[in-house]
Amino acid sequence: MIIDVKNIVCRFDEIAAVDNVSLAVDKGEVVCIIGPSGSGKSTLLRCLNALEDIQEGEIIIDGFRIDSRHKEIHQIRLEVGMVFQNFNLFPHLTVLKNVNLAQRVVRKRKRDEATRISNELLNKVGLTDKINAFPGQLSGGQKQRVAIARALAMNPKIMLFDEVTSALDPEMIGEVLEVMKQLAKEGMTMLVVTHEIGFAREVANRIILIDEGKIVEEGTPEQVLDNPQNQRTREFLGKVL
Amino acid sequence: MNWLVEQLGILSKIFYFLIQVVHWTIIISVLAYLIALICGLFFGVARITSNRFIRWLAGAYINVLRGVPLLVLIFFFYFGLGKIINLDRLVAGVLAVGVCYGAYMAEIFRSGIEAIDYGQHEAAMSLGMTRWQTLRHIILPQSFRIVVPPAANEFIACLKDSSLVSIIGLRELTRAGREYANQYFLDFQTWLMVGLIYLILTLSLTRLVKVLEKKFAVHGYGVEKK
Repeated sequence: MIIDVKNIVCRFDEIAAVDNVSLAVDKGEVVCIIGPSGSGKSTLLRCLNALEDIQEGEIIIDGFRIDSRHKEIHQIRLEVGMVFQNFNLFPHLTVLKNVNLAQRVVRKRKRDEATRISNELLNKVGLTDKINAFPGQLSGGQKQRVAIARALAMNPKIMLFDEVTSALDPEMIGEVLEVMKQLAKEGMTMLVVTHEIGFAREVANRIILIDEGKIVEEGTPEQVLDNPQNQRTREFLGKVL
Repeated sequence: MNWLVEQLGILSKIFYFLIQVVHWTIIISVLAYLIALICGLFFGVARITSNRFIRWLAGAYINVLRGVPLLVLIFFFYFGLGKIINLDRLVAGVLAVGVCYGAYMAEIFRSGIEAIDYGQHEAAMSLGMTRWQTLRHIILPQSFRIVVPPAANEFIACLKDSSLVSIIGLRELTRAGREYANQYFLDFQTWLMVGLIYLILTLSLTRLVKVLEKKFAVHGYGVEKK
């Protein structure tokens, strides 16, 4: 078990965005989290990276307890790569430097080594010809693939994807999902918040449906998508499918 | 015709007299501005650190120094502090202008830092970078581009306000103007010329700022082709 979330509560001004959620993920598992907007799926993901504080419960990742006030939180975050809906590439750096930077200052890799790794990863996401471009010169799909390469460059044990295709034009969604499928095949542990039900069905080992901060349904894609037990799951799927 | 020639003669005499001290105006403003830059960067960053005490300290610095007239600060540094720890006119004058402008610069730096999308912090943190690494590699390089125009404007203001140190006897442009006017009773021509020289300085700076703005605004944001 690489992720162990026990009864966490994350509140914003007394409103619980994540309300008593427990979740265990094994190494190599791909878990897709679906649910209506505002249901708390992104917040849950952000808690795993200590981008949001939890008020109750605990999160243990690879044996370490996650706590944003903890001094070693930077070390623990290294093990968890995150890709955001809005890419959050560094606009003042080229693609290569975006991928290199954290390797250099955090992993303390030499320039040559970092560049070699970056080139490898950028090749893998199909952006070899863009290494010297700035983020402003890329399409949304290309930006998101750079963001994935940037996160992978830190050799994370877990990858978190927070609605990574939601800000993309429809014709660019495929290229990003393709990279994610490849990652899943290679055995990366992945937590994916997504609205792409088709992707979830194809790639996920497990699907979780969250509504109003609570897990309302959990199971294999067949169980959740084809034979939902909960009324709210049926309503949600009725809208999106 | 004779009158005009005579006036031009007077003006050029004043010009030659003043131009010999103009470098002091420049030295004072540049030194004061350097202090302002350092104070501004330090307190601007301090204003948004997680440490409550440092944040309070920076807030106090900014509010106090912005709230007191510069002239009073100059008197305080020269006559007040200067008597106790024996400050030279130049040091006292430069310090007073420097720390005063430091307060304005701190606010400019703070707003520059806060203008950067919070997603940049999150992306950097998710890569395991510390707050300091994030600031140094991600936030500040982007903030500098935002900060260049207002920071350069502060230099122009600083140059004009350097005239206030004439009051403690620093022989820069304004002081020299006063000497000349008092000696030859040529107030109109002298102050006209003093104003003109300040204007030449500030207008050339404005041009320089435009060039800098172009250089910094485009570079690195990827809109330009290499």
